[in-house]
Amino acid sequence: MRKLAYILGLVVLASSCQKVIDVDLNEGNQNIVIEGNYTGEDSTVRVGVTLTSSYFNNDPSPTVDNALVTITDQNGIPTVVPSAGNGQYVLSGYAPDYGTSYTLSVVYDGATYSAACSMPTPVQMDPITYQYLDGFFGADPGYVSILNFQDPELTTDFYQIVITENGTSFDRIDQIQTQDDALTNGNYIQRPLFLNELSLLGDTISYEFRTVDKAIFDYTFQAADIAGGSNSAAPGNPITNWDNGALGYFNAYGVSRDSVVIQ
Amino acid sequence: MKLLLTAVTILLTTVAFSQNYTISGSVKDSTNGEDLYGAQIKVKELENVGALTNAYGFFSLTLEKGSYTLVFRASGFDTKEVKIDLSEDMKIDLELNIPKEVQEIGPVVVNAEKENDNITSSDMNVTKFTPKDIATIPVLFGEQDIMKTLQLTPGVKGAGEGNAGFYVRGGGADQNLILLDEAPVYNASHLLGFFSVFNSDAIKDVSLYKSGIPAEYGGRASSVMDVKMRDGNKKKFGASGGIGLISSRLTVEAPIVKDKGSFILSGRRSYADLFLKLSPQEDQRNTQLFFYDLNMKANYKIGEKDRIFLSGYFGRDRFGFSDIFGFNWGNQTGTLRWNHLYGNKLFSNTSVVYSNFDYEFNIGAGDDGFGVKSSIQDFNLKQDYSYYANKNNSIKFGMQGIHHTFRPGALTGGNDSFNEVILDPRYALEVGAYIQNEQKIGTRFNIMYGVRYSGFNLMGDGKAYEFDEEGTLTDEREYGSWESIKYHHGLEPRFSASYVLSENNSIKASYNRNLQYIHQLSNSTTSSPTDVWVPSSNNIAPQIADQVAMGYYHNLKNNMYRISTEVYYKDLQNQIDYRNGAQTVLNDLVEGELVFGDGRAYGLEVQIEKKKGKLTGWISYTLSRSLRTFADIDNGKEFPARQDRIHDVSVVLMYKLSDAIALSTSWVYYTGDAVTFPSGKYEVGGATLPFYTERNGYRFPDYNRLDLGCTWYFKEREKFEHNLNFSIYNAYARENAFTITFEENEETGETQAVQTTLFRLIPAITYNFNLK
Repeated sequence: MRKLAYILGLVVLASSCQKVIDVDLNEGNQNIVIEGNYTGEDSTVRVGVTLTSSYFNNDPSPTVDNALVTITDQNGIPTVVPSAGNGQYVLSGYAPDYGTSYTLSVVYDGATYSAACSMPTPVQMDPITYQYLDGFFGADPGYVSILNFQDPELTTDFYQIVITENGTSFDRIDQIQTQDDALTNGNYIQRPLFLNELSLLGDTISYEFRTVDKAIFDYTFQAADIAGGSNSAAPGNPITNWDNGALGYFNAYGVSRDSVVIQ
Repeated sequence: MKLLLTAVTILLTTVAFSQNYTISGSVKDSTNGEDLYGAQIKVKELENVGALTNAYGFFSLTLEKGSYTLVFRASGFDTKEVKIDLSEDMKIDLELNIPKEVQEIGPVVVNAEKENDNITSSDMNVTKFTPKDIATIPVLFGEQDIMKTLQLTPGVKGAGEGNAGFYVRGGGADQNLILLDEAPVYNASHLLGFFSVFNSDAIKDVSLYKSGIPAEYGGRASSVMDVKMRDGNKKKFGASGGIGLISSRLTVEAPIVKDKGSFILSGRRSYADLFLKLSPQEDQRNTQLFFYDLNMKANYKIGEKDRIFLSGYFGRDRFGFSDIFGFNWGNQTGTLRWNHLYGNKLFSNTSVVYSNFDYEFNIGAGDDGFGVKSSIQDFNLKQDYSYYANKNNSIKFGMQGIHHTFRPGALTGGNDSFNEVILDPRYALEVGAYIQNEQKIGTRFNIMYGVRYSGFNLMGDGKAYEFDEEGTLTDEREYGSWESIKYHHGLEPRFSASYVLSENNSIKASYNRNLQYIHQLSNSTTSSPTDVWVPSSNNIAPQIADQVAMGYYHNLKNNMYRISTEVYYKDLQNQIDYRNGAQTVLNDLVEGELVFGDGRAYGLEVQIEKKKGKLTGWISYTLSRSLRTFADIDNGKEFPARQDRIHDVSVVLMYKLSDAIALSTSWVYYTGDAVTFPSGKYEVGGATLPFYTERNGYRFPDYNRLDLGCTWYFKEREKFEHNLNFSIYNAYARENAFTITFEENEETGETQAVQTTLFRLIPAITYNFNLK
């Protein structure tokens, strides 16, 4: 009887099943993806141009080498960003004028795509500090590094932080940390930045602290959310500063850096 | 307003000069003394003159002096005729009998009466069920479920397997006002949606208004589902119940004082998890998965003019996995009502209503554990009057005030290193006032017209935030206790009309506007108890729905067949959706994550119903669209709502094989839900992202399912009746999609689409008994 009841219970719970099905996705239209980064730190514009690929197979994204890529400063003076092959376009020695806006444009297959991004003056951070924490949720005890900086009062600021621990950079878009000053404008900000595991004695932690445009802050946040899981409230592409339906982003940013050894 | 008053005054004075007398009283079920709601009182000598009983069984009819034959009729009961000589005000309290034949064969209602109420009634577009009507329809796990049965009628669509939510005429699941004895029920589902919270044993009837919504109801944009609990047997003690595979239930009822007052107590408990206790694996043994609920109601008649009712519902779901994870949620409602009769024409009901819905998550235990809590709580005061002015007019008016407390979420931990997050509670006062007249013009034309004023005051204490177009915070302000943050209000006209073309044909039309001030934000593709309710505010405007509907009703073969055809067009304003990539969990600034747009829905509904004979049931077909337009989604291109099911077919058949055996079947088919799938993928910032081309541009596979049922009635004894119900859910084991996810194939590394099906073939057996 006991066995019978158990089996009965299992019948009900095990009635659910999974199977692989054919879903006919409309993969005909390949869309352009443009990833533009202009770093004030090394005066270099780096642009990657690719196309979307089939959702189901693992072929690498097709790259585009025959696009015309141009960066234009606030005075309307265009400079061509030459192709470096493999979908990459690089322009070095392009000195930044912080606080002004740049426009990146890409002409490909008869269509023109452009994105404007303001390049904020980099906010300098103070030396990184750290703090010891007991483990929680079963995690091992260790150290967490703390970002310290004075948020400028006169501007609305947005930041990206790329953490490097012992030479490993957490620079994937869903690993990049973000910070804004919506509720903390003009404050002195001290924020612990957690990695998956707490750091140990002797570890080297470095921050690349980027001051970015609002559009980039939003994009990072949304792209990380989408990359992190499929169960989104509103499935959609992250909102980009590109026009004309291009995917990706154009980020012109200022950088400040610091590094600390935990001891 | 002045015009309205003048109109009412003229209406009331025109009949003051002839000699009129009023017949008032009540209509009850003779077997248990339950009030009959919607029973008809017709005057044989006069065409299109009569009255309907209200929810408390009360009627009032004013006629000129003379001799009349009153015909009392209610669906499922023998008709009674009463001859009267009207020369003074009269009181008639009447009990109607259930036909002898029906009593013997159990719940299959065979009514030999000529029934063309659907043609002649001015009640528009209301779908009404009693648990008796649906007793043999096969359902999941053999548990009778009035909400699931409503989803088999045209224009009403279930939100999908494992989901008690429903969509009415293209509206959202949060746009249905679900009332249990006047108390709003915020989450009408048990066991993650496999059962509804309504225990059929405790329910008297359910009315669903899809259009032509009377002015007394307000607060939701799409529909009203009004569930009334039974009062309990006023004549003698009774007990009934059922024992099933998944759950059991028991109801007791008895008079408090015979024919003066009674009570009913009804409980259910599911025990699917008890089987898990027998499992060899420890973590399965420690899994909790059950719900229980309790319905209570008592009523008492104080003298001839007054009655009081106290009713309550308490339900809870618990879902847990050892002490690693716990999740529980539930509704509590309470209603205290006082009926009073002023003279014999003015009926008053005063209600005090409490309603609460809350959920709680717990992860981990002890110092390392943390929990998330959220709730919505209402206190509601309501005053309704019905004035039965004369034989052609009956007026309803009243007012209502609801105090809402929204607690959107609190995260609490047992550990110091944890920052507690407690989102600010929000407070609001929702008010409403209405007046409505139901008028007969000549012998064939009935109209109902009214207006509702509603207002919503979002108040402190608390913070209000302001956002720019992109949802970035621009300003915030602290408000004091009861200080108004934002007042929204509006007028809601309601109108419906019916015209009887002949004994077998009628046409009906309606228009209504509904405003909705509270909104449910759903954060995944299935509705879940964690969906948050938010109030209208300085950022969120009330939802507005305008609907026009028309119908043609035709009865054939001496009312054996009823054919109804209805068309509707609905315009929706201020619809809400999440911004792409919205941050929805424990976010004080969630209002900045919303985008607003408009929508429209339209459709054609056809139903052929067979009311008499050994074979009864219906076939219904709905052709409809439900579309939305948001400036911030797909660049303003119109897209289908999730519930945009273009074709929807339901077939329900019940066949009486013999006095002992009743067979039933139902079959449903509908176009798969609209869903957003990626059309490709791309790399950005080192991560691979899905490439979405349009919102809800893809479809789930079409859904279809056949259910079979058989009820075997054992030989009835004087004091006891019992039956055994067998049912098979999804008899041909169709694998319908519950979810479709994209996963990596471990062998090839390629992405593949994986469909999860919840239920293939589920047999069930339930034993039901009734101690009379």
